[in-house]
Amino acid sequence: MRSDTSLANRHRSRVATISLYGLLVVVSLPFLYPTLWMFFSSFKPANEIFLQPPSLLPRDWTLDGFAQVFTAQPFLQQYGNSMYIATIVTASSILLSAMAGYAFARIRFPLRNAAFTLMLAAMMVPTEVTIIPVFTAVNAMGLNDTHWPLIILPIFGPTSVVSVFIFRQHFLSFPKEYEEAARLDGVSRAGVFFRIALPLAKPAIAAVGIMAFLRSFNMYFEALIFLRTPENFTLGLAITRYQDFYGEQMWNAQLGAASLTVLPILVVFLVAQKQFVQGLAQTGIKG
Amino acid sequence: MRATRSRGVAIALTGVLALSFSACAGGGSSSTSGPVDLKMALWSSNEDHLALMQEIGDAYVAEHGDEVASLTFEPVTNPDYIAGLTTQIAGGDIPDLAWIPEASGPEFVDAGILHDVRDTLEGTDGYDLGDILPVALEPWQDDDGGIYAYPFSNSPFALYVNEDLLAEADQPDVQELVGTPEYTWETITDVAAATNDATGAVGLNVPGFSPTNWSAVTMLGNAWGAAPWSEDGATCEFASPEMIAYLTWYQEQTSRGAIPAVSGNAAPAAFASGEVAFSVAQLSQSGSLDDSFEWSFLPLPAGPEGYHPIVGQAGVSVLERSAHKEQAAGFLAYLTNPTNAELLAQFFPPPRASLLDVETLSQAAPKLSPEEIQTAIIDVVPEAQVKPQHAVLSQFTDLVRAGLDPVWAGDDVETAVTGICEQISPTLKG
Amino acid sequence: MTARTSEVDDRRAVRSRRRSRSDGNSWLGVAFVAPQVLGVIVLGVVPFIFVIWYSFNEWRPLTGELEFIGLDNYSRLAADPTFSASILASLLFSAGVLVLNLVIAISLAVLLNRRMRGMTGFRTIFFSPVVVSVVAWSVTWGFLLAPDGGINGALRLLGIDGPNWLADPSTALISLVVVQVFKGVGMNMVLFLAALQGVPEELREAAQLDGATPWRSFWSITVPMIAPTILLTGILTTIGSLEVFAPVQLLTGGGPGNATNVLPFFLYRTAFISQQFGYASAVGVVLFAVILALTMLQWSTRRKWVHDEV
Repeated sequence: MRSDTSLANRHRSRVATISLYGLLVVVSLPFLYPTLWMFFSSFKPANEIFLQPPSLLPRDWTLDGFAQVFTAQPFLQQYGNSMYIATIVTASSILLSAMAGYAFARIRFPLRNAAFTLMLAAMMVPTEVTIIPVFTAVNAMGLNDTHWPLIILPIFGPTSVVSVFIFRQHFLSFPKEYEEAARLDGVSRAGVFFRIALPLAKPAIAAVGIMAFLRSFNMYFEALIFLRTPENFTLGLAITRYQDFYGEQMWNAQLGAASLTVLPILVVFLVAQKQFVQGLAQTGIKG
Repeated sequence: MRATRSRGVAIALTGVLALSFSACAGGGSSSTSGPVDLKMALWSSNEDHLALMQEIGDAYVAEHGDEVASLTFEPVTNPDYIAGLTTQIAGGDIPDLAWIPEASGPEFVDAGILHDVRDTLEGTDGYDLGDILPVALEPWQDDDGGIYAYPFSNSPFALYVNEDLLAEADQPDVQELVGTPEYTWETITDVAAATNDATGAVGLNVPGFSPTNWSAVTMLGNAWGAAPWSEDGATCEFASPEMIAYLTWYQEQTSRGAIPAVSGNAAPAAFASGEVAFSVAQLSQSGSLDDSFEWSFLPLPAGPEGYHPIVGQAGVSVLERSAHKEQAAGFLAYLTNPTNAELLAQFFPPPRASLLDVETLSQAAPKLSPEEIQTAIIDVVPEAQVKPQHAVLSQFTDLVRAGLDPVWAGDDVETAVTGICEQISPTLKG
Repeated sequence: MTARTSEVDDRRAVRSRRRSRSDGNSWLGVAFVAPQVLGVIVLGVVPFIFVIWYSFNEWRPLTGELEFIGLDNYSRLAADPTFSASILASLLFSAGVLVLNLVIAISLAVLLNRRMRGMTGFRTIFFSPVVVSVVAWSVTWGFLLAPDGGINGALRLLGIDGPNWLADPSTALISLVVVQVFKGVGMNMVLFLAALQGVPEELREAAQLDGATPWRSFWSITVPMIAPTILLTGILTTIGSLEVFAPVQLLTGGGPGNATNVLPFFLYRTAFISQQFGYASAVGVVLFAVILALTMLQWSTRRKWVHDEV
């Protein structure tokens, strides 16, 4: 009697397990398929991309699309642009928002709460809203078609507030005892931050670093507004410009460029996905 | 008065913003004497176009080193080229010369952005202003006879045909129909639909057409007698019976597979891929074609209201706010003199009558046969209409885009176009 | 960290302020926050004041003239059918993204929140679009959603004739919602997974022993415990969805009609295509007002259902 129920239970739980996996596999499709399709289609000849019935794998594998990626635009240079911009933005964002986050969490200074409230309010001002005056100013300084606005805006502009917030949340929960011990040893406040608090803030650094890098590397709107010449393009903009002179799309080149943009980031993510996910999970955004 | 004060405030505030960037290099340079550096914005990043421009530019610098020290050509590949250019102008980062697409011509002339170069051109020895076709120059002139651009590209729209695809689909050779009464849109779309059926390839394609670039399709309505607005630009004519007839016809072609359906804002397949039977495009597009399939270059077919050729233009202008207008105008006169115009003709059909002969153009377009040059370019250019333009187009183009979307989706044409006229009429009347 | 610690911390901070008023470090604090605070002021607050000022002006950048016209831009907005369509598109898009994103994110987090083989793999898959460039993602979906694209091809195999997703007024907006949600839902899922790990297993087991169905225990135990996360991700997702630009520009161009002509896109076209900086600034002010209102709305509901004060 008893063994019967436990058998039935075990049976039921096996059915549940299998249907859970089945469900997860089905749900995975819209997450996984577009990236796979993009990747494989960049190996298709242009005329195969809309072939019916659609297939994931190319019938004739070709590298033509990838060849066009590099001949139609200075793609390597554009890659370099995105890389160096994202690197500067990431490094500066980590340092500056860690400093600000630490001060907001741990140091008393006049107007602290007012300044923090202002920062939070600024989160509600999207880039698009202020683009006209920013664009006018950038033009007036002759910085149109340069990388300066793409570097300065993400580091200092309202989009940086999330990073400050993450660091503040992190440092709020940072044990005071560490700091007090160090201060007793005569370490200055700045020394405490640079030598103790910051090195111990790895999860927040990871979270801010990943978010800042992805945001900069995948930036589109600002690039669209500020950049004109192909040599200055960043990758997001470059992908959209694979068309010949009269606006005809070079499909496979576009997909090739998209794949080359996405793939390295995806590989880094797959290798370090644990750090990625845990870093982001500990951002403090959860409340 | 008020405007000036507002502007002052704006400039002051801009200064505050500028402080944040103070570490960055930059700033305008304005040399008052000695040879100057000129900059020209181009709507092409084609290497051959750039090389030719640079060659002419270098030759000019070699001859006029006392006036011009260097010439830089800045390609702008933004599909919204004109948005890029106007914002660049708005921001004060002003090129000395610019390539201006015809759609923006009237708007730029009206706004006083372009510099009148009539005197310079008339005063240049051997320029021969009278050689330029009046019909080509007209869109770039104002009522007082000022000339604001040289239409270096006066390029008729033509029909590219993929002969291999047609043969594969067992379709007749449409090339033989040219000049006969049977050479009509109806015949062409019949073949296009049949080819689409038989091979799965795209039937008839209008490259450059996307919902935001609706004029690429509406311009073809002139063979139905349809125009988007009256000649003076003041009256909306989208709801005319002719335009309704044309758009209804267009819908039918979409539903029978002769013309691909619109998908969002994406551009359709490229003729160069070999998967398109017919394509409505200009001469310069032949540059992207190789020998991988047999193709021909034919004039546009006739519609119910007969044969109405269309040219698309691009002008080269000096900008009024350039710091070196005189030097820039000098270069413009050189760039477009009869000798250099012949060089430019290898990519862009010239507006000069003296260059419109098979010999000059076949040097320019070796991929075309003499018959093709004669029938699709030389016969066409002197009588062709310029693609419809409007002085405030940018202000209502998005309203038309939104209004035409139901048409591309197969909804009722009359309702859609009536709505468009309701929306844009106030703007048209100005 | 929970809100409680930060509250305790704040109280402690207040006490320590009393004690250490003459702590000579306040200059350091100012120096530490200065780059970011000044940055936000110069690149956010000041430009926003400009935008408000511009919105009272007629400004055609081609001629460079600014002319004060008072509230005319706003009365023009009120009468502009494109603008009302644009507001509607933004609100519908935002609502769609918010609901779909949170429902999927919480469901996936609940499904993955168990010690079973392969859960990390699925978590990686669901998160992967977050690292994919939004342009690459949009472009790819553009191909898949085309009339002859992969999605309709798959439907045809099932004998279904799919619509022209991006050109049909009834499917264009929802297609964009789907593109946006699958791109970003992994991020929220991870945050919810972290929140779920803070829900004690014993609580749920106790409820189940009391005869509560998993569905009931989810609503009466799990949801209240993760309420702060729901609130914060809700606010951030809403703000993010009201800023959407790239998918709209790359997939629909605002069409068909104005079905997907969301406010940021309408602003961009008005400013940079129609060359009406003043009018576009008025759109910007409204866009900010919408974001502010929706954020306040969500924030003000927190007392009703977020017991653990954020």
